Parts: sequence; structure tokens; C-alpha cells
Amino acid sequence: MKRLLFVVGLGFAGLHAGGFNAPMQAYMQELTLEAKSVDGAFSGFDAKRGESLFTTKHIGKKGTEVSCTTCHTANLKNNGQNSNTNKSILPLAPSANAQRLTDVKEVQKWLRRNFNDVFAREGTAQEKGDVLSYIITQ
Amino acid sequence: MKKVVLASVLIASFAWCSGVPAATDPLYQKECASCHFGYQPALLNKASWEKVMGSLSEHFGTDASLGKEDSQAILSYLVRNAGNGKITTGNDTTRITLSAYFKRKHREVPLKQILQKEVGSLSNCMACHTTADKGSYSERYIVIPNYGRWE
Ligand code: HEC
Ligand code: HEC
Ligand code: HEC
Repeated sequence: MKRLLFVVGLGFAGLHAGGFNAPMQAYMQELTLEAKSVDGAFSGFDAKRGESLFTTKHIGKKGTEVSCTTCHTANLKNNGQNSNTNKSILPLAPSANAQRLTDVKEVQKWLRRNFNDVFAREGTAQEKGDVLSYIITQ
Repeated sequence: MKKVVLASVLIASFAWCSGVPAATDPLYQKECASCHFGYQPALLNKASWEKVMGSLSEHFGTDASLGKEDSQAILSYLVRNAGNGKITTGNDTTRITLSAYFKRKHREVPLKQILQKEVGSLSNCMACHTTADKGSYSERYIVIPNYGRWE
């Protein structure tokens, strides 16, 4: 029981901006517990790690170099463009688009798809928590 | 009343000029019009839609996977409204752009107009067919970026 409380406490510490609504906070808690269970030394999500994950290129699903910025650009307050279809994408930054990071189902769906596209695998709990901690501050 | 008459005339004229019913289902619009405009159900037949919906995690090089419930609901919408006209004849693939009718209709479109960055590929219907999202593909509403009207 003590241990669970400790972990939950860590989860709150991980929410830098605190800009998440209640359902998203619960989702971040879930990710925290999962990250902790994989790595005992896990000490909270880190927006800086999230930023570097977001901007670094990887060999993606198609076998070519791609990063999150390929579609969302490096300035999350700007419109992006889907590199596969040319369709424009509204800003990812909650400060520019209040809808972002408000719907857990939507966030889970796009993280699953987008991690697969960029890393050719799903994201770990820590990676997802880090990148959300970065996006929420934008 | 006038509005109703106008609306029916519009619908009738779409039907005359290679139109298909618009895709109005809200779930379909939310889930299948996020990466490209929502291709109307009548542009592919039942067999094609079953293939598309059965392979969403490997969707033309990208992951478009959905939860089971949403995926089932969309499949049944697509199958209910699937096409059986000229554009779907002989095409059981996952692409509208591979139908013989489609290819014949686009044979005369120069490659450089398709490959320019404002279009990218023939799959980007909205780039040239300005009323594609309403189901109208009539020549009257074709405007090729940087080249102008087709007619
Ligand atoms: C191939 C293009 C593409 C790439 C690469 C991409 N995304 Fe996305 N992303 C999209 C599209 C399209 C949407 C949904 C568009 C919309 O809602 O307007 C989206 C939505 C999202 C959302 C949902 C936000 C919300 O609440 O609505 C998140 C989070 C996200 N992306 C994060 C990422 C991360 C992290 C990466 C890198 C691992 C990434 N994206 C890479 C295309 C891309
Ligand atoms: C994550 C992005 C994404 C989502 C979501 C998505 N698609 Fe696609 N779709 C693509 C890409 C990329 C292509 C290939 C475009 C190209 O070749 O230019 C494509 C192509 C297609 C084509 C073939 C068009 C042609 O060339 O004839 C069909 C049909 C299609 N999508 C249906 C759907 C349906 C139905 C859904 C909803 C269940 C859906 N798509 C959701 C990315 C997406
Ligand atoms: C590069 C621009 C371009 C794109 C992209 C494009 N089309 Fe076309 N389309 C044309 C032109 C031009 C014609 C008229 C060709 C002619 O009649 O010589 C045409 C004709 C058609 C017709 C026949 C209309 C008639 O009145 O006979 C249909 C149906 C059609 N397109 C559907 C589509 C669909 C569906 C897509 C996307 C999957 C698409 N087109 C993408 C340029 C385009």
C-alpha cells in the first residue's frame, strides 16, 4: 500500500505543466505505474527526453527516415502536413489548439499509430509519458 | 420549398455528372477523413472494403488501426453503401485508383500535373475535384492546381 502511494505521488510530480484534464491525469498515472513496473529506478516523466524523442529521426515503418516533426513540424504551434497524403494537420500544441490532449481514447489511438510509423514498434509507457509531458507544455 | 427544389435539382445534377452519395456518417468522417478526405463508400465494392477494413494496421505504408467496435461499425456502414456501378466493376483491390474506369478517366491527365506538390498522387481527389467531399466529380468542378479549370 505504501509503495502504491509512493508511485502515485511520483506520477503527480511528473506532470510538469499540470495542464491535463482529469481523464488525461488518470491516463498519465496509468503510464507512471507501468513505467515504474518495468524500471524500478524510474523517477518521473521528463519533457526534455520527450522533446528529443519528438525531434529525432528513426527508420520508420516504411523503411525510410522519419520523425514526429516530419508531419507535425518542430514548432507545434504551427499547422503540420501529413507527409503520406499532403493533408494539412492542425497544431498539436494545446496552447494553439485547445482540443489537443483532452481525449484519452484519441491520444492512445494516435500514439499507437504514430509510434508504429516512426519507430516501427509501439511506444513504451515511459516514452509515451515523456512525449505527452513535452507536448502539454507547448 | 424553393430550397427543397434547388436541393433536388442539385442532387439530380450530381447524379447526372458522375456523382456518388456524400459520406455523411459522423464516425466515418471522424476516423476515415483524418489523413485524407473521406472516400465515399460507393467508390469501392463490398469485397474491396472488407480488404481495406481487414488490414488497417498495414494501410498503404501507415498504421490506421482502430478499436474493434469502431472498426466493425465503419465496416458495416461501408458495406451497406458499397458501390456496384461503373467505377467498381472488375476492381476488388483496396484502391479506387486501380479501377479500369478510373484509369480510363484519368489517362489524359499529364503526369507533371499529378506529381506537383499540391497534388502528389491521384489518390488526392480533393486537390483537383473541388467538390469531391460532396460526392461530385463532374468535370465542371475540376480545377487543377497551377493549371486551372479542366474544361
Ligand atoms: C505520417 C504523419 C505523422 C507522423 C510521422 C506523426 N504524426 Fe501524430 N498525428 C498525425 C495525424 C494525421 C494526427 C491526427 C490529425 C488531427 O487530429 O488533426 C496526429 C495526431 C497526433 C496526436 C493526437 C493529439 C490529440 O489529442 O488530438 C498526438 C499526441 C500525436 N499525433 C503525437 C505524435 C508523436 C509523438 C509522433 C512521433 C512518434 C507523431 N505524432 C508522428 C500524423 C502524424
Ligand atoms: C493514419 C492515416 C490514415 C487513416 C487514419 C486512414 N487512411 Fe486511408 N490512406 C492513407 C494513406 C497514406 C493512403 C495512400 C495514399 C496515397 O497512396 O497517396 C490511403 C489510401 C486509402 C485508400 C485508397 C485510395 C486510392 O488510392 O484509391 C482508401 C480506399 C482508404 N485510404 C480508405 C480509408 C478508410 C476506409 C479509412 C478509415 C477506416 C482510412 N482510409 C483511414 C492513410 C490513412
Ligand atoms: C490531378 C488531378 C486529379 C486527381 C487527383 C483526381 N482526378 Fe478525377 N479527374 C480529373 C480530370 C482532369 C478528369 C476529367 C478527365 C477527362 O474527362 O478527360 C477526371 C475525371 C474523373 C471522373 C469522371 C467524371 C466524369 O464526369 O466523367 C471521376 C468519377 C473521377 N475523376 C474521380 C476521381 C476520384 C475518386 C479521385 C481520387 C481517388 C480522383 N478523381 C482524383 C483529375 C483528377
